Amino acid sequence: MSGSWSASVTTFLALAPLLAVVAGALVVLLAEAFMRRANREPLGYVAALALLAAGFFTVRSWDQDLTYFGGRLLLDRFALLLIALFVVIGLAVVLMSLEYAARQGLKLGELCGLLLLAVAGLMIMVSSTDWLVVFLGLEVLSVASYALAGLKRTDRSSSEAAAKYFLMGSFAGAFFVFGLALVFGATGGLGFSAFLGNGTSGPALATAASVGLGLILAALGFKIAIAPFHMWAPDVYEGAPTPVTVFLTFGPKAAGLAVLFRLLAPALKDGRFAAVFSPALSIMAVLTMFAGNLAALRQKSLKRMLAYSSIAHSGYLLVAIVSGDGPSLVFYLVAYLFMNAGAFSVLAAMSGPGVEYTALDDFAGLGRRYPWLAAGLSVFLLSLAGFPPTAGFLAKFYVFSGAVREGHFALAVAAVLASLVSVAYYLKVIVIMYMKEGEGEVAIEAENPALYLVLFLCLFGTVQLGLWPGNLLALIRQALSTGF
Amino acid sequence: MTAIAANLPLTSIITFLPLAGALLLVFFRGESVRAVRTAALAVSLLSFALSLVLFFGFDGRTGVPEFVERASWLGRGIDYHVGVDGISLFLVLLTAFLTPLALLSSWRAVTDRVKEFSFFVLVLETGMIGVFVSLNLFLFYVFWEAMLVPMYFLIGIWGGRRRVYATMKFVLFTMFGSLIMLVGIFVLYSAYHRATGGFSLAISDLAGTVLPPHLQTWLFLAFGLAFAVKIPLFPLHTWLPDAHVEAPTAGSVLLAAVLLKMGAYGFLRLGIPLFPEAAAAFSPALSVLAVIGIIYGGLMALVQKDMKSLVAYSSVSHMGLIMLAVFSLNFEATEGALYQMLNHGLSTGALFLCVGVLYERTHTRLIKDYGGAAARMPVFAALLLAAMLSSAGLPGLNGFVGEILCLFGIFASNKVLAALGVSTVILSAAYLLWLYRRVMHGPLRDPDGRLRDVDRRELAYLVPIVVLIVFMGLFPGTILRKMDGSVARYVESLKIKPKAASSWAIPGQPARAERHVGELER
Repeated sequence: MSGSWSASVTTFLALAPLLAVVAGALVVLLAEAFMRRANREPLGYVAALALLAAGFFTVRSWDQDLTYFGGRLLLDRFALLLIALFVVIGLAVVLMSLEYAARQGLKLGELCGLLLLAVAGLMIMVSSTDWLVVFLGLEVLSVASYALAGLKRTDRSSSEAAAKYFLMGSFAGAFFVFGLALVFGATGGLGFSAFLGNGTSGPALATAASVGLGLILAALGFKIAIAPFHMWAPDVYEGAPTPVTVFLTFGPKAAGLAVLFRLLAPALKDGRFAAVFSPALSIMAVLTMFAGNLAALRQKSLKRMLAYSSIAHSGYLLVAIVSGDGPSLVFYLVAYLFMNAGAFSVLAAMSGPGVEYTALDDFAGLGRRYPWLAAGLSVFLLSLAGFPPTAGFLAKFYVFSGAVREGHFALAVAAVLASLVSVAYYLKVIVIMYMKEGEGEVAIEAENPALYLVLFLCLFGTVQLGLWPGNLLALIRQALSTGF
Repeated sequence: MTAIAANLPLTSIITFLPLAGALLLVFFRGESVRAVRTAALAVSLLSFALSLVLFFGFDGRTGVPEFVERASWLGRGIDYHVGVDGISLFLVLLTAFLTPLALLSSWRAVTDRVKEFSFFVLVLETGMIGVFVSLNLFLFYVFWEAMLVPMYFLIGIWGGRRRVYATMKFVLFTMFGSLIMLVGIFVLYSAYHRATGGFSLAISDLAGTVLPPHLQTWLFLAFGLAFAVKIPLFPLHTWLPDAHVEAPTAGSVLLAAVLLKMGAYGFLRLGIPLFPEAAAAFSPALSVLAVIGIIYGGLMALVQKDMKSLVAYSSVSHMGLIMLAVFSLNFEATEGALYQMLNHGLSTGALFLCVGVLYERTHTRLIKDYGGAAARMPVFAALLLAAMLSSAGLPGLNGFVGEILCLFGIFASNKVLAALGVSTVILSAAYLLWLYRRVMHGPLRDPDGRLRDVDRRELAYLVPIVVLIVFMGLFPGTILRKMDGSVARYVESLKIKPKAASSWAIPGQPARAERHVGELER
């Protein structure tokens, strides 16, 4: 009796991060519906609290390696690391939105509630090796994020973003399910390793399974924004409210990559499998890097430029997947979390009531008028470009050197050249901020403590991870030392 | 002296003191220009004083790095590992010596955003010194790249009319080279790992391992490209005139005096010792490029209308001689190259400062706008002449010692190249003295009476250089003595060519089964 009691307690503990987030989401959404006060900030605090609780439970289950539902939900360290990242990004978005929502006329409760649901979807996605559970997480994430993208209901580009995201996302979801059906039909299992176990005895990978896997990869590629499945990304990232963009450029990407890594890290060690998928993924990585970077060169809006840069970073991250380099992948994700959120938070700060300044020309002379904001953005951009001693450099160093170590020499060269292209447009922003004088002086409302807290923490993370990532690196390596 | 030096992490202090000063400046009020300038100058002077302690405490007889500090940093062979030997010591000194002068020289030239300017100059100093003291390849690369950022801002914000173009060109050229080098570092990193099972990026470890010839070739080209852009070696020099002409005086001085040396230093520290066989194989081709650079740079300098671009092209020519000496791969030439690197840093630095002095008065750098300035500026004329004669290699000044050593060494290895290389002496005398005649002599052209002689502040940054120019011309032994050990060791390391282990696989197509136990992450 007591055994089953303690078992159910541990089950509860394992599910606690998820439960905390979902409960938070429900509370916030209900409160939003019934709340009479105009000031919705308390809802933001509730959401933050829910995320903090999830974070607490995540840390608690660190060394326990819990699995539930017959192994369909597993909280290994890899999953926990990513869940922690999702909690961090969730918190960052909530804090950024507190003031932003009021200024832009968004309902904070809706934003936070949907955000928590999306985070729950991410958590499910990364903590399973069962296709159906992953799909479940993917759908929870998708539905919430379609709505998030369209939160600015009066804004045409936001509605367009939502519609586009929804249509393309539905296709991707259909691809996923169809691929799943093929894989299931060919291998008779829904686990990630099912087709591998089958493959080792057979002469070659079954065609149906290969096609199915290809479809699934395409669907995941859509979520991660990998070329040629990235076309939706710039419009959605640009149209969505800025805090939501922060979430969209990181969350689905990280979760999709985590699923890819769980699937491919063992699979790419299989010679026959690698023969097909390793070149395919390499080509996609190169395409993604160059498509993102070359398109970013021509942008007139910083938000859109960062959207393309986000695509390019998917390409760099894919390099880590191809070389099966888990620690570098996670480290890159952490670094990207900080520098990307930081850059977008500067963008969020560049706003007034009902207006956002995203055009590059609005940044002219920023170095003189808002020196701290400009200095912060410069650090983030330099980090995104991969200049030492920032986190971005170290992340690229690990990913690319891992690729060379695993023999993907050409891929590393392509990645390095793509970074060179990226330097041109990141520096262009700095040129505009410091070396051009502004004509139409934009006036921003500087009063926004929560946003500045996010900005400062991102800055701290970006610099700290570039100089002394010691503990984090050790933690990541320890987390991935088993199981992969 | 040695006792104090032994107990302090002197190398690190010298490296990071300017950075600390820069961070301190952040808390100054931007309006208190005077305080900012004084503080920046004080920090850089303190750094120079400490580098003198380094100089006097340096023994140099053994040729191994001294003042070594080592601490684990990121793990897996990426350590914090710094120290100085006879090759890097003087470049550190040069940097620490010129930074305060560069700051002092911009007191009148830079009046806009002084705080930011001083901040970037100090950060740049940390980056430059860091490159010279790094004994770990990763650390070297971090400083090498990080240094680009302050230079980018210095040219881009305080530069001339085409500053944005010039600074972007500078960054993209340099980054192209260094990113290729980065791939080279990856390959080296994994090759070392493959060979020994451990991780290391310590330069001494890497130099101690033998690489197969074809791998050496590729790696030498990858590293060489980064260094050749920086030197700049013909035909990769096109960023240099733009960057120099558009940069503010302080930027030009540091660019010419220190940044260009990094390319040559890179060859001496990494390119040649790590890949000696490839270096030997490529040295004829690179020597030819260096000779082309000497002659091309000299001829281009002759026809320039702008004084700054004249000095910039003279740098191409002089760096050509230095590279020719570096690729001669013998003792005299290497020592000459090192000495000439210091000379060029001093004399070109002084020339840029002199151009800055003239520009501050008349706001033009075109040679045709000047004439007979010596009549109004006799003291300045004397100082400028000293800098020019040093650059042209007049016996008794430092340039002569360096050039003669270089040419002796080059002659020992290749007589034809030496004969062609001598043309640098003739050419530099021609374009410099002709410049002097046009600007300082002839009918006076000073319609608004703006030519005044140098004031005390300007004397304060010109005289130290001239004193050093004379001192190094008369007593080269003081400096050469400290270089001898390291250069001898360097030349010795090139002669030992153990047979390459052919069993090594290049990191191109590793067999999947070959997984080393050392790879902990899996």
